[in-house]
Amino acid sequence: MTKFANRLFHIPEYSDNESNVVARLTYNAAIGLALLSLAFVIISAVVAPALLERAVIMAFMVIFTSFGVMVLIQNYKLQIASILLVSMMWLVITVGAITAGGVSAPIFIGYMIVILAGGLIPNKRIGIFISLASILTGILVVIAEINGLLPPPFQYSAIARLGIYIFFFIVTFLLQTSNTRSLQMLLKQALQSQAQYKSLLENIPATTYINSKDETAYTEYVSPQVEKLLGYPRNMFILDTLFWKKILHPEDYERVMNANHAVNMTGELFNVEYRLITKDQRVIWVKDEATLVRNESGAPQYWLGVWTDITARKHAEEEQADLVSVMTKRTIQLQTAAEVSRAASSILDLNKLLPMVADLICNHFDYYYVGIFLIEESKKWAILSAATGKQGQQMLDTNYRLKVEDSSMIGWCIKHGEARIALDVGEDAVRFKNPLLPLTRSEMALPLITRGEVIGAMTIQSQLPATFTHVDITALQTMADQVANAIQNARLFTERVNLNRELETQNAELERFTYTVSHDLRSPLVTIRGFLGYLRQDAESGDLIRFDKDLARVANAVDKMQALLNDLLELSRIGRIINPPEKIPFREIVAEAIELLNGPLEENDIRMIVQEESFPNIFGDHARLVEVMQNLVGNAAKFMGDQAHPTIEIGTDGEDADKKTIFFVRDNGIGIDHQYHERIFGLFNRLDPSIDGTGIGLTLVKRIIEIHGGRIWIQSESGAGATFYFTLPHA
Amino acid sequence: MVGEPILVMLVEDNVDHAELVIRTLEEHRIANKVRHFLDGQSALDYLFHRGDFAGQPQARPHVILLDLRLPRVDGIDVLKAIKEDDDLKAIPVVVLTTSEAEKDVARAYYNHANSYLVKPVGFEEFKKLMDDLGFYWLSWNTHPDIKE
Repeated sequence: MTKFANRLFHIPEYSDNESNVVARLTYNAAIGLALLSLAFVIISAVVAPALLERAVIMAFMVIFTSFGVMVLIQNYKLQIASILLVSMMWLVITVGAITAGGVSAPIFIGYMIVILAGGLIPNKRIGIFISLASILTGILVVIAEINGLLPPPFQYSAIARLGIYIFFFIVTFLLQTSNTRSLQMLLKQALQSQAQYKSLLENIPATTYINSKDETAYTEYVSPQVEKLLGYPRNMFILDTLFWKKILHPEDYERVMNANHAVNMTGELFNVEYRLITKDQRVIWVKDEATLVRNESGAPQYWLGVWTDITARKHAEEEQADLVSVMTKRTIQLQTAAEVSRAASSILDLNKLLPMVADLICNHFDYYYVGIFLIEESKKWAILSAATGKQGQQMLDTNYRLKVEDSSMIGWCIKHGEARIALDVGEDAVRFKNPLLPLTRSEMALPLITRGEVIGAMTIQSQLPATFTHVDITALQTMADQVANAIQNARLFTERVNLNRELETQNAELERFTYTVSHDLRSPLVTIRGFLGYLRQDAESGDLIRFDKDLARVANAVDKMQALLNDLLELSRIGRIINPPEKIPFREIVAEAIELLNGPLEENDIRMIVQEESFPNIFGDHARLVEVMQNLVGNAAKFMGDQAHPTIEIGTDGEDADKKTIFFVRDNGIGIDHQYHERIFGLFNRLDPSIDGTGIGLTLVKRIIEIHGGRIWIQSESGAGATFYFTLPHA
Repeated sequence: MVGEPILVMLVEDNVDHAELVIRTLEEHRIANKVRHFLDGQSALDYLFHRGDFAGQPQARPHVILLDLRLPRVDGIDVLKAIKEDDDLKAIPVVVLTTSEAEKDVARAYYNHANSYLVKPVGFEEFKKLMDDLGFYWLSWNTHPDIKE
């Protein structure tokens, strides 16, 4: 029971303020009416006992109804409760007025309270309806009274009348006071929450603003944080409503305007990060998030936005991006360095290594062009030895070279042994403008240094201006150093291989020499010593005819031995005595050789075809080269066989892989079978003992050609003539 | 000499050396039984009945004296041809050359030479060698049946 009473006197919370206030008012009114009706019963009993019966009935009705109203409010039936309360009051007044004799009854004033209480009902229409119903009821009571339908008016004493009036006054007063207080409370609450919101809005670490709903985006409100954010007084944004567009970073302007345009079309959330320029000309990054606020019917009202300062985050991001880009670059450099290093340590052939290194560096760093120059022997010229791309090939094809002097970056770099950069090549006078590389904007020249000696330089060119940093130079110089060492290694290796090959050749020659001495020189000795014995026998027996014959055999063998010894001496001289090479027109050499062979050539009626116009100038030992031609042409003449139209042709047949001219001497004589092609160049190898000679001619020719850095070979079929080919470097 | 059974085939490009061999063998009265060839090609033509010797049955030698460095077909190639032929390989081949080179000695024996002799420098030494050679191969040595 106590629990129930507690619950009964506890007003529950409604979801909105207005309902809360109405509930409290209705509640208070119900309790107040119940208490007043009780008081009315007591007053009636004292001042007007005649009214007691009616007062008790009324009080009973009021208390019962009030109780119902309270229960309804407890159960959130606010509207029904208030209607019930007002209806109850109307019923009490109407019944009172009718029974007390009509309009003149003091209770008639009670309609005023009904109308006043009608204001409590949340639904305004019902309030109006109750007012009208009260007035109408009053009119009906009057009509009934005029027509004598009502009982005769009740005669109140003046005190009773006053008592009733006072009762109504008190009720009115209570209702009015309660109403006013409730309104004040509502107003206070509203003001308080507004202040809270405002304080919240103006204390968060972000700037809020309200912009007009159209695309122009006038500033209608901006929170004071803007002053801290941008340094401009808050007024600036209100007085100049488009001020925010004026402080937009020019690079972001278009992007922001496009986004603004887009969200004004769609009404979607605006969320853009951009830069603003503060009063003290700093650039800050803000995140701008704005929502289009709509009213209850969905019509756009304004843009409510928030500016958050994200400068620190952006800087961190930028720093991170920078770091990533630097790391990426370093990784590429390391990777390239590793690949260059691998190539440098595994490839000994410079013709393969240098183009590979140039391509590696050019591709990995995305450069425009990379070229490697090596200094030639005289140290006056740097010769392009490897280059990337089509332009590179074009330059290689034309034997592109630069003088080692200050007139070019490469020349300067080699002369001084230092790296050089031209960040905008137009500005650096030392750059030699190259029409084949028109897009170069930055150029770097790195010296190739090994064992303290500059052996060349590497040029690296980019289409971007000012692209090389000091870190790049360090990294690339490291690679250049590796390349320089690799070049040195390859050179040493080639030198060693050549030395080995030469040694092998010399060993083979020595072996041949020993063999020759033990066989070819022994042969005449056997004859000499053998026939010396028979000479004695001949002398003893007096056989003079055989004596003469045997003596001739001995003499012949001695001569032959002499010739062999001379040839051997000659052969050993070639290796040691060679005249300093000079530039000679090959035409002269051929002419001299033919002149020397004039006798045998004319004797055998041999036709000579000499392609003089194709002969280049060559570098070599004049006398030795004449010997070569003399031997080859002489051999050709010797082995003509019974050819009816003996012809010897001398000419050139292009160049070999080393860019040496290929010469040939062709005859239409007896030819040489395949199996002898190797043997013919061997010392004292003669294929036909019936023909004069010691068999040293071709050995000599081969030696001389090889000493000049050339090669000699033969193309021939037995019976189909022979062609001797040999190469010589042209001047 | 054609038609006569010959005893020695001499393959030698140096006419002086051939003369020395023939003269020293004279003392064994077989000088007329020596047949001299100046190069490998003619020697093989004789043995295989071809070229200049085609169609004529030729006497088989008891022994072949072979020089190594010969024009046209080299001595080693002559040796190979003989030793690879089922019929001819029974004929003893004595290499007689000026070369002392190990390489030549090895190659000769590798190709089944029956003996390797270096021509001595000196009259007496040459004579002695020819005497011994004549005795050994033509007197002491038993030859396989000679087919005609």
